[in-house]
Amino acid sequence: MAIGGAGRWFLLPGLIFLFVIDLIPLLYSAWISLFNWWLIRPRDIRFVGLANYVRLAGDPEFTRAVVVTTLFTTGAVVLEFLAGLGLALLFAQPFRFLRTLRVLILLPLFVVPVVGATMWRVIFHPEMGVLNYYLAALGLGRPPWLSDPKLALVSITLVDAWRTIPFMFLVIYAGLEVLPPELFEAAAVDGASGWQSFRYITVPLLTYIMLLAVLIRAMDAFREFDIIFVLTGGGPGTATQTIQLLNYRAFGLGHMGEANAIGIVTLILVALMCWVLLRAVLRPRAAAR
Amino acid sequence: MRRPSRLRAPLTAVAMLPVLAWTLFPIYWITTASFKTELSLYARPPQWFFTPIIDNYARVLTNIPFAQYLKNSLVVAIGTTLGSLVLGMLAGYGFARYRFRFSEAVRFLVLVMRMAPRAVLVVPYYLLMQRMGLLDTYTGLLIAYVSFALPFSIWLLIGFFVDAPVDVEEAALIDGCSPLGVLLRIVIPIAAPGLVVAAIFSFLVAWNEFLFALILSGVEAKTLPVVIAGLNTDAGPLYGEMSAAAVMVMLPNVVMTVVLQRYLVKGLTLGAVKG
Repeated sequence: MAIGGAGRWFLLPGLIFLFVIDLIPLLYSAWISLFNWWLIRPRDIRFVGLANYVRLAGDPEFTRAVVVTTLFTTGAVVLEFLAGLGLALLFAQPFRFLRTLRVLILLPLFVVPVVGATMWRVIFHPEMGVLNYYLAALGLGRPPWLSDPKLALVSITLVDAWRTIPFMFLVIYAGLEVLPPELFEAAAVDGASGWQSFRYITVPLLTYIMLLAVLIRAMDAFREFDIIFVLTGGGPGTATQTIQLLNYRAFGLGHMGEANAIGIVTLILVALMCWVLLRAVLRPRAAAR
Repeated sequence: MRRPSRLRAPLTAVAMLPVLAWTLFPIYWITTASFKTELSLYARPPQWFFTPIIDNYARVLTNIPFAQYLKNSLVVAIGTTLGSLVLGMLAGYGFARYRFRFSEAVRFLVLVMRMAPRAVLVVPYYLLMQRMGLLDTYTGLLIAYVSFALPFSIWLLIGFFVDAPVDVEEAALIDGCSPLGVLLRIVIPIAAPGLVVAAIFSFLVAWNEFLFALILSGVEAKTLPVVIAGLNTDAGPLYGEMSAAAVMVMLPNVVMTVVLQRYLVKGLTLGAVKG
């Protein structure tokens, strides 16, 4: 390895900063999750061990929220990854107006999330929204985008995709840009088809970057709050009630112990998800080497 | 790169048009909403063309000290970007080139730091910042946002650094270049697109963040998302003013991206390492 032991001096500033700033609040939160602490009753703060966690495990509403969150995360990430990869490959070829279009494609990232979601609610409005106006004009009826349980989950997924496909696109696209063109030239000389050079050059070289894009999106989708809160508030019923909405409610009611327990469970679930993804993608590769 | 096909241009256009429509329609609707009255936002048939009014902008700019908050947002976002890039560059290079026991585990732990729901962290953060006397300061927000942005920067840059040509780096070290010099002169230019992406997303973390800005900042350091959220009143959102503010908040990002995308072109690939 090129720099050897000097590497630790590169690592230390960032690691110290990160662990001091993030680990202390995290441990504090884990500590609070072991208490029965209701803000309304400040005198009645009791250490209860894992009771908050046990209660969550037996709570059908929480189980349901885990399912909803998983559905939303899976749908959003798959959709966003495929669309982002497709766009990145499209933009990797030179065409006219590329620079302008590249900025235009990124625009949704720049809209404050709450405003973006608010505007989608206007667009989705069943009676007065622009979307249903044209659908009705085409004879397709007026789908209740946010008030039908199944459709609401699809709608929030679509809005999340609208906002973050640009993220997937940009990360994968930048990864494509640093691949050495010589490899593709050599493959073309050897008569490789477009699909072959994608499958055997792009995919292996870009695995890490694509995996990272998926990981980051998956952890953000799992913890998504703004969009869902603005669009449906968890409804109709509990159709879009994710773990984060339950967490918000627990905080709102002043149940500090339970709210922090939900947060820690979220962290554990997200870490598990990422760990499984990392192993599933990176292990077979390492073995193949 | 590959055989150019005569079909490519029309095919690209066919693939691009729906994506563009889907991406840009809400942006168009927000932008036009900022020049409309709330009534005409729901007009039927939908108004694509209309006589613009600037009342929404006038109200936002006169009712709110917008310039002050814009400055706060810019300072915090630029500071976050620099902090996350410098620390991320160093740590990313460290991880890419220096293996030690548990380095995989430490790397994963870096990512774990990014996984906690923010709502859970905000109270402990508040107490921590209070203890350090950093409530309602740029520094307080900066520290929080760098810690949000840094894990992604590190992980992303590892990906761009591992594939940089190690032989050239070693040759430079033998010729007496310092490890830091190798990073700055050889690795960074090759990985430029990665740095652009890390910069854009670090900037956006700070620029769009709402919860911590709300809790950690009072009057002095308040940033734009807090201001915009204030336009979502008990009586419902003030669509026109919200859109006007959102458009003004969007513009600096567009400028930044247009400037940065010069570096998003194919990195310098070193001819020296071929073969």
